[in-house]
Amino acid sequence: MIIHEQEITWANQKLILTNKKAIYWKAQETLILSDLHLGKSAHFRRNGIPIPTQIHEKDLEVLEKLLLQYHVKKVVVVGDLIHANANGEVLDFKLFLERFSSVEFILIKGNHDRMSEKKVLDLGIKSVCSSLTLDNITFVHEPDKCAEYQISGHIHPGVTVRLPTNKHFRLPAFVVSENMLILPAFSQFTGLDTKKVLDNAVNYAITDTGIVVMR
Amino acid sequence: MSKFEQTSGYEIVSSWLNEHGRTPFTFQRQAWEKIHNGYSGMVVAPTGFGKTYSVFLGILINYMNRPDTYKKGLKLIWVTPLRSLAKDLARAMQEAIDQIGLDWVVEVRNGDTDVKIKQRQSKEMPDVLLLTPESWHLLLAQKGRDKFFENLKAVVIDEWHELLSSKRGVMVELATAYLKLKLPNLLVWGITATIGNLDEAMEVLIPYHVKKIKIVAKEKKLIDIVSVFPPEVEILPWAGHLGGKLVDEVVPIILNSKSTIVFTNTRSQSEYWYQILLDAYPDFAGQLALHHGSIDMQIRNWIEEALSEGKLRAVVSTSSLDLGVDFKPVDTVIQVGSSKGVARFMQRAGRSGHSPYEVSKIYFVPTHSLELIEVAALKEAVKTNLIEDREPLVLCYDVLVQFLVTIALGGGFRKEELFDVVQSAYSFQWITEEEWDWCISFITVGGKIGKNYEEFHKVVKNEERLYVVEKRRIAMLHRMNLGVIVSDAMVKVKFLGGGYIGMVEEYFITKLKQGDKFILAGRVLELIRIKEMTAYVRASQGKAITPSWLGGRLPLSSNLGGLLRKKLADSKNPTSREKELKFLHPLVASQVDKSHIPSENEFLVEKIKTREGYHLFMYPFEGRLVHEVMSSLMAYRISQLYPISFSMAMNDYGFELFSDKDIELSEEQLKHILRKEDLMKDVTASINAAEMAKRKFRDIAVIAGYVIQNRYGKQQNNKSLQASSGIIFQVLEEHEPNNLLLRQAYTEVFNQQLEEPRLVQAFERINSSKIIYKFAESFTPLSFPIKVDSLRQSLSSEDLGVRIQRMQEQSNRINRKRR
Repeated sequence: MIIHEQEITWANQKLILTNKKAIYWKAQETLILSDLHLGKSAHFRRNGIPIPTQIHEKDLEVLEKLLLQYHVKKVVVVGDLIHANANGEVLDFKLFLERFSSVEFILIKGNHDRMSEKKVLDLGIKSVCSSLTLDNITFVHEPDKCAEYQISGHIHPGVTVRLPTNKHFRLPAFVVSENMLILPAFSQFTGLDTKKVLDNAVNYAITDTGIVVMR
Repeated sequence: MSKFEQTSGYEIVSSWLNEHGRTPFTFQRQAWEKIHNGYSGMVVAPTGFGKTYSVFLGILINYMNRPDTYKKGLKLIWVTPLRSLAKDLARAMQEAIDQIGLDWVVEVRNGDTDVKIKQRQSKEMPDVLLLTPESWHLLLAQKGRDKFFENLKAVVIDEWHELLSSKRGVMVELATAYLKLKLPNLLVWGITATIGNLDEAMEVLIPYHVKKIKIVAKEKKLIDIVSVFPPEVEILPWAGHLGGKLVDEVVPIILNSKSTIVFTNTRSQSEYWYQILLDAYPDFAGQLALHHGSIDMQIRNWIEEALSEGKLRAVVSTSSLDLGVDFKPVDTVIQVGSSKGVARFMQRAGRSGHSPYEVSKIYFVPTHSLELIEVAALKEAVKTNLIEDREPLVLCYDVLVQFLVTIALGGGFRKEELFDVVQSAYSFQWITEEEWDWCISFITVGGKIGKNYEEFHKVVKNEERLYVVEKRRIAMLHRMNLGVIVSDAMVKVKFLGGGYIGMVEEYFITKLKQGDKFILAGRVLELIRIKEMTAYVRASQGKAITPSWLGGRLPLSSNLGGLLRKKLADSKNPTSREKELKFLHPLVASQVDKSHIPSENEFLVEKIKTREGYHLFMYPFEGRLVHEVMSSLMAYRISQLYPISFSMAMNDYGFELFSDKDIELSEEQLKHILRKEDLMKDVTASINAAEMAKRKFRDIAVIAGYVIQNRYGKQQNNKSLQASSGIIFQVLEEHEPNNLLLRQAYTEVFNQQLEEPRLVQAFERINSSKIIYKFAESFTPLSFPIKVDSLRQSLSSEDLGVRIQRMQEQSNRINRKRR
């Protein structure tokens, strides 16, 4: 698993976009990601829909790889950490966090995060809040047009790439405008919204082999 | 007089018929006697000749002759493909029973049936129950279901040809097989209209080693086909615009009839015809209705009733009125544009002139002049009774796993016993034990054999070794999602004030902006906002978009394609009786002049150079779907010779490869790219099979229970269980490539999308034909409609008219220059 990077300057900060759908903010030694939807496949299985378990294992593997690659003191999850209620996969995550106890995990509450705050803290998350500001950047779950610099998730952005032969395919993407940055969903087991969400935005589309800038 | 005719049952029924001035048709008497003698079988008869009575009265006769063999409870299950058929059928059956003087009760059970009635039925079943394949399976999912069927004598599948080549047909096969195992003496009867593969149709329904017989009525429905000719022939025909010109010819046909159905092929075409008919003859207001799948069910029901009662002058419809109850007042049918198949054409014609010896009259309105060839072809097909096959579907694992959960839900099953049931169904006679094990593991542990998903307990094996569903929530989700009809996500369209208009596909409405206007149910509507799957609109006027509904384009059947090739060849020297071909003479002459009219043993390829670039046209007459595959294959094979890229266009007659570079192709090379060798290998290389399989997986995922279907009108509380089939497809491709349902998606691509057998046949035909390779400097009559169709996809309708006119003028100019 090779992590491909694309450095951008945004909000006067140097941010590293990775093709693993997370951002590394070096100045703050912080990893930023969104929409993990932990326990989603287990939730499906509980309701009689057989989704393979590997999908969840793979998500954690990628997260582990990111934590090992960069010098990370803090992880900010901008919402939808846990898909539904506690289940085996959510407990897996508790074990995962125990192995990275020196890293401070912060959750910005998303619409899916309906688990009680106490239970979330029990997993090993250091704090839960509805928004957070680090330096000049505010973190929220749902993108919200405002004057300050804002990083969010929620909509699972993606882009459609059209080939000359009229074929097309869809890729997850970071959407970056003047003052807003929307993260793609971290989990593999999520859909894409390819509608245009922000005016004058640049899309950083993610492929296995790198990041494609689409204006 | 035969012994059977002396039985009291026969005497009672035939004297009842006599009282009503009727005598049984031979095929009816035959069916009665065979039922009396314990046969299963299939009745083949045209609409209007009493198909229903042939089997239904047979059961009554048998009951009257042997009342002691019939016990209390459900005796007869009658399955129809349409809910709307059931109500009328039940009424007619009850009437017959009452008049004959029996005490049987006939009832309907389907999605429209009141819950209270269903509960009462579950406690005490009527004697005859009318079901749809879905409500039949729901009955099998009921606790204590085996009690319902204890005294069942017969199962009858009505309109079997409608179900045969669909997954609903597979549902029928499985349910029948289940009951047949529990009740070895159960009689199974099918009723069907004429199709090409009658013997196979019977084998699919009754694959069991029992006494069985096919009974074919000698009576034939007479059909009179009348072409509506345009005022003059266009040499360069293009689809669509003729409608406007021919509407003046259509109005008098409607005025001279009691009641008319105007059939179109797509919903947008029906909206268009509804408009132009009203514009051409404003007095139709209030007497003309529009009927298609996106119109509110209540309005559709009202239209159907009004049509039965003779209150409507005409209804413009899509295939939504192909089937269903008889509309007695309808004496005229108009078909706009190609019907794409012989069977559909005959079925539509049969919607007029219902009583047995009445002639069904159908007018054919071409949307471009070339379609007149099709009339000639259809006339021949009707004369020689050349009707398409309906291919049964096999090894639909998605339907199977759904059925397994259904059976587990209604009291459970034993693995070995149910395997016998499944194997006895036609569709699953080839299932291996390994595949069976996979299906069982799919519903118990989630798919991968040997891999246990701890949280997954859809179906569990209890202490008595029975496979059952224990969780209520899973039972509820399964019942809600049961069935194999998968529909697009639909958005309700409502007026701000509350009035409900109909439904449109979500993908269409989400493309519109606030203030955009569109047409639905014959009205111009302005979009105000979309909220929670409802689009709020206000009435408006002026220019508006007609939604182009997906799936509206039916491909041309192989039968009709073959006949078209023949008639096209004939058009060079038409007989005096073939008015359509004679009418087309100027067009044919122009095609001969510019290029060539292929004979039946020839295959025409045209290379045309225009200002835009280079066009290669081929005319296999195999229908749009096959042409889609063939054109990518041709493009692929040419690009193997030298680097070049193409854009492609196609209609039902042929296809075009277009490039701004010269398409250099010698006769030798042309033969080479049309070779039948390595066909499927090159096809696989030229298409994106994974992408196509992903699309096929959409339905499979819903049927197998991967995706919870968003049922219109039902409260949805499963938001956290929503995942698109596309994501699941990707996940499975990566983590479980041997998943049977995934493999089924690829099989469906090859059998249905690529139509492998038809493609192979087409290439064999082409390879044994003489290849005619012609060059032209302007579009020929055959190529023009294809070119126009490709423009249509990329241009708005206003640009299109101007652009086409320019192309026609250019072509004509070149023509004049040459002369």
